[in-house]
Amino acid sequence: MNALEIEGISKKFGDFNAVKKLSFEIPAGTIYGLLGPNGAGKTTTIRMVMNIIIPDEGSIKVLNRRMDEEMKERVGYLPEDRGLYPKMKVGELLLFLAEIKGLKGSDARKEIDFWLERFDLSDWKSKKVEELSRGMQQKLQFIVTVIHQPELIILDEPFSGLDPVNTKLFKDIMLEMKKKGRTIVFSTHRMEQVEMICDNICLINKAERVLEGNLSQIKKQYGKNTVILDYDGEADFIKDFPEIEKIDDYGKFMEIKLKETSSPQDLLPKLVGKISINKYEVKEPTLNAIFIEKVGGKEVKDE
Amino acid sequence: MSKILLVIKREYIQMVRTKGFIIGTVLGPVFMIALIVIPIIVSSVSVEKQETIGVVDLTNEIFMELDKKLDHKDYRLKDGSRRYLLEKFEPSAGIEELRRELRERVLKKKLSAYIYIPEDVLEIGARESAVRESEPEEEKVEYVSDHTTDFEKLRALNGALNNVVIEKRLKREGLDPQKVAQYIKRVGLQPIKITKKGEEKDSGGTFMISYILALIIYMAILIYGQVIMRGVIEEKSSRVVEVVLSSLKPFQLMMGKILGIGAVGLTQFSIWTLFGIGASVYGTSFIPAGANFAMPSIPAHVFVYFVIFFILGYFLFGTLYAAIGSLVNSEKEAQQLVMPVTMFLIIPIMLMIFIIRAPNSSLAVFLSFIPFFSPILMFLRITVLIPPFGQIGASIVILILTILLMIWLTAKIYRIGILMYGKRPKLTEIVRWIRYS
Repeated sequence: MNALEIEGISKKFGDFNAVKKLSFEIPAGTIYGLLGPNGAGKTTTIRMVMNIIIPDEGSIKVLNRRMDEEMKERVGYLPEDRGLYPKMKVGELLLFLAEIKGLKGSDARKEIDFWLERFDLSDWKSKKVEELSRGMQQKLQFIVTVIHQPELIILDEPFSGLDPVNTKLFKDIMLEMKKKGRTIVFSTHRMEQVEMICDNICLINKAERVLEGNLSQIKKQYGKNTVILDYDGEADFIKDFPEIEKIDDYGKFMEIKLKETSSPQDLLPKLVGKISINKYEVKEPTLNAIFIEKVGGKEVKDE
Repeated sequence: MSKILLVIKREYIQMVRTKGFIIGTVLGPVFMIALIVIPIIVSSVSVEKQETIGVVDLTNEIFMELDKKLDHKDYRLKDGSRRYLLEKFEPSAGIEELRRELRERVLKKKLSAYIYIPEDVLEIGARESAVRESEPEEEKVEYVSDHTTDFEKLRALNGALNNVVIEKRLKREGLDPQKVAQYIKRVGLQPIKITKKGEEKDSGGTFMISYILALIIYMAILIYGQVIMRGVIEEKSSRVVEVVLSSLKPFQLMMGKILGIGAVGLTQFSIWTLFGIGASVYGTSFIPAGANFAMPSIPAHVFVYFVIFFILGYFLFGTLYAAIGSLVNSEKEAQQLVMPVTMFLIIPIMLMIFIIRAPNSSLAVFLSFIPFFSPILMFLRITVLIPPFGQIGASIVILILTILLMIWLTAKIYRIGILMYGKRPKLTEIVRWIRYS
């Protein structure tokens, strides 16, 4: 069963194509990464799934039904622009947002206590939202997204602006949710997070899909001719070898993509003695490399 | 529906708890009462004291009479002593010299003022009566003082002086001033209002109540409309709106907000009404006796229509304010868009006097059907005279239909506007939203 089926959706804003003929499916119980550089159309896609923006064409099925008001109760949504009522008390805010998701008052209260405890916010229950620090507000926002036990969780840039501690917390909870059979979709342009937790991905660039499918299969497609080199010394000369297709040099660390005709075994002898090699590893390309290649070699900057 | 209720509940509780609401509810009546009571108290507190006024009487006939008049109890202070003492000055050294001397005395506060009565004040000049009968030129008796703004005092002195002069003139012609006074006694027009229930004397109370109640509707719509708008802008600028809209429809959020804030308004009015009833029952004793102030009473039907037109007017304008809030990014930006809406509220206020004076003129009837005016104008007509029920019903129906239309229209604008950030949309874009969404 698919938790989300998107078929040929398009959206234009004036003359600007925000999303063009986009299709993908998300199997239930998986974590799905929606990737793409800034302005690729990720947020527009998510808003169309949430029925906030109506697509010009195409169809969207959420949990095998058309998205409607009733379905909103079975979906959790974390928008890209975070926002809470600053003047409300934490407990009241959560109660209101849980109740409009269809939770009964008594159930909602239980969930609120559980999640506040889990996120170490219990002491703040009767404080106003505006008194909380930014990190605490992010946690609160996450609670709002999952408090009604949604079957499908849609997160737009969930990790942006998070510190490493909260990033780990969010990631752990996402994996927990997956174990409970929930489906999670999230958008990001940070590849390392995707590699760690995603089962499937869809890469969008300039409103169109450029890559979609199972993450490990995609990586396999990109072959076994990538070399990770951990080194000391002056390694500029490597660029001139005929075997090389592309190099990503980080100074002490290098991701080398070889031409299809050459083998990593041929490259190693040429390096020995010229630089000090700490590690020479043959592996699948990183998602970052694939991303950069697909999006046109442009550097993708983290926000 | 229950989601609308949740939104209403949130809006209501959040707002009733604010300091602004509590202070406004308590201070509102206090302020109103202060506005009425303080001038009454101030005017009844006596700041008057005895003063001496110099008199230059060139006729040599008026001083004695004027002095006698001012000795009358009407012109006395509360303790029974004379308010105005007169001191006569003779122009023995010439008028200019005397004026200079009196000027000195006034500036040195030896005299509070001096009155200069010219010689010809008792003459009935052929010139003046011939020129304009309806508006005879006033004799110029001068009142010279270092301050001339105490109109109470001027009126008293002027009255006394006039009486003396007129009596003198009549006597010169051989007429009996008392008889003449009887002849020229005025008659007054007593307004008596006929309603289906009978007749009632009207001493201007209707006018005042109509005016105040219509102003209350105006103020309430203006204030609570702005509250709605501010609420929408806050939801938009704090970006919470997208979270809320992932759970309910824009329409539910908008209507919930309008209804919730409306409920706050009604709560406030109920508190004030109770307060007012309490004040009219117990409060009259606080008003100083003789202050010439009667608590006006509001007929029941007027109160019912007040509630109806307040609610309808609030809805009509509430939807507009909500739509404006959804279109802008900040309150500052909203001010320009609010202007036309405010105009719809100000125009009927400017027409109020006209409507009160001619409540049944065809223009008044026509204006009171226009939905943006009727909450104030039709209500005003009802308070002044009861229009045929068909007219009232028609204006209410038109108003309700317009409200439904506005809800439909503004919901479309709101739905798109609420998630649009950045540049404010142009009118053509808004029209497109309405047509295509």
